[in-house]
Amino acid sequence: MAHPSAAPSERDGPTPVVRVRAVTVAFGGLLALRGIDLDIARGERLAIIGPNGAGKSTLFNVIAGDVTPGEGSVVIKGVECVHRPSRYRPRLGVARTYQKARALAGLTVRENIYLALTGHRGRHLALWRSSTDRRTDEEAAEVADRVWLSGQLDAVAGELAHGQQRQLELGMAIATRPDVMLLDEPASGLSRGERERLVELLESFDEDLTLLLIEHDMDVAFRVAHRVVVMADGERVTAGTPAQVRSDPRVHRIYLGTEAPS
Amino acid sequence: MNPRMNPRHLLTRGNVLGAALIAVLLVLPQLATAFFVNFVMTQTLILGLAAATIVFLATYGGMTSLAQFLLFGVAGFMFGNAAQEAGSRGLNLGWSPWVAVAFALLVTLAAAFVLGAIASRTTGLYFLMLTMVYAVIGYFVFAQIVEISGPGGITSIQRPDLLGPPVRLYYAGVLLSVLAYLGFRAVGRTAFGLALQGVRDDPVRMASLGFNVRLHRTLAFTLAGFVAGLSGLLNVWWNGQIDPASIATGPTLILLIIAVIGGITSFAGAWLGAFVYVWVFTYLRDLPLIDNIGITEARFNTVIGVIVLVIMVLSPEGLTGIVKRLRHRVGARTPAMPGPASGGSPSVGKRTKELGGTRT
Repeated sequence: MAHPSAAPSERDGPTPVVRVRAVTVAFGGLLALRGIDLDIARGERLAIIGPNGAGKSTLFNVIAGDVTPGEGSVVIKGVECVHRPSRYRPRLGVARTYQKARALAGLTVRENIYLALTGHRGRHLALWRSSTDRRTDEEAAEVADRVWLSGQLDAVAGELAHGQQRQLELGMAIATRPDVMLLDEPASGLSRGERERLVELLESFDEDLTLLLIEHDMDVAFRVAHRVVVMADGERVTAGTPAQVRSDPRVHRIYLGTEAPS
Repeated sequence: MNPRMNPRHLLTRGNVLGAALIAVLLVLPQLATAFFVNFVMTQTLILGLAAATIVFLATYGGMTSLAQFLLFGVAGFMFGNAAQEAGSRGLNLGWSPWVAVAFALLVTLAAAFVLGAIASRTTGLYFLMLTMVYAVIGYFVFAQIVEISGPGGITSIQRPDLLGPPVRLYYAGVLLSVLAYLGFRAVGRTAFGLALQGVRDDPVRMASLGFNVRLHRTLAFTLAGFVAGLSGLLNVWWNGQIDPASIATGPTLILLIIAVIGGITSFAGAWLGAFVYVWVFTYLRDLPLIDNIGITEARFNTVIGVIVLVIMVLSPEGLTGIVKRLRHRVGARTPAMPGPASGGSPSVGKRTKELGGTRT
């Protein structure tokens, strides 16, 4: 996939799909996020990187609705979401995955995908409606096929191998046909081969899909992202294209404690 | 044609056993003594129905509730208040029995909805403790508000004429038990039931998929409360009276113990546990020389405690777990029947594990 030559920057260009403003989160006495700003444009692939404790996951969870910030604003598609719980996000076309795969362990792969499909459609309070129908069944099979799980549709999710659980996690996110996808360390715990397939899958997404990922694996992050934001101590240190970030001496200092080799 | 609609498909061993059991229950009044039918079996069906609501919440919702006996009591008290005409404690509204039934069930539904909505924020041990608090509060509400009960409870409650002879109450118990058993199992295959099982497995994940986790828990609690209310009505018709002591924490815990004896993840186990409980309480005293080893009526709870302990050590899944294991053992001795591979079978999962990779 071709990366745009110039990264879109904040506060210019079209209205961003996700706009984060002055978000501050404190856990007790610890400031996890210190007034952070972030814009994500439609169709952008944005990676957030940074050392442990940088606040990446907290920022991610604020956008996903799992953490409510003390201050600040999170606007998704023009809707202020900061005080809306996570269950409103799918209605806005937002899907997420978790760092530790959170497939529904007691249910089958097919049922997991059903739930992902029906979650944002409603109709799941009905006692008279069967959990399955032909259309959902076909959709579930399609989704499973996209994440290489078509042979495991009736396997119990809790019994899948780690890599397969991550695939299911991604499948559940894809199933909702989101406009914005939030991926929390999708490559963690995957083998080299599985990472290659992950990158292949991420690159196969529609160009309109907006992707935000937190990733420790620089190779995956730099290959997938159009733009990389580097965080440390709850603040944004720098942002730019993968090439710009790779050569930024501040990034080397943060990660290695040394300047970039000349 | 949907394969599930194929009559041959319905001839599974479980379905045949279930049909045989229902047939036995239907002809039981002709085979057994009136005491066994109207005392042991009717009580078993009433307690089994109430315990099945605990199993429903635990199996599908991951919620272990101690409030089911309270809702059982609410229905009984409300029926007593509405149906009694005069001369009894309570409101003495004097309504016709079936209007009183509707009233009792509506109040039970409302109470279950409100209590469920409050409890829906909690899970695990906190849910257990909160529902225990409900049971304690419920006891004091009925014990202290003399307008609706008072410590002596409501006595001389008549059942509707339709259920006049005791054997009809037994059949009502059979009917409601069969409906509840099939209904609870069917709920697991509905959109609501699947979502509830998702909530059980990971509420945070379900919320991120767009589900209203608290609403699902609340509605599950309300549905379970309604069924507990039905069993409460049977109980008040069977007993002819109800007092706050009968829904205090002691009986509340007994209902949980019944569910545990049978196997808290098995609907059939609810009635099996109830049968064991009622049988021990009814027949233990008849065992020869039982008094000589110090087991008098006052020590029946100790006997039940020992039974629970033994079952928990032998099989945490209760009696149904033991039955399943015995069936597996018998099945392992007989040669395996070749059959079509079914998805999700243990062998499929095992094979996946053995391969360990992501390719299939």
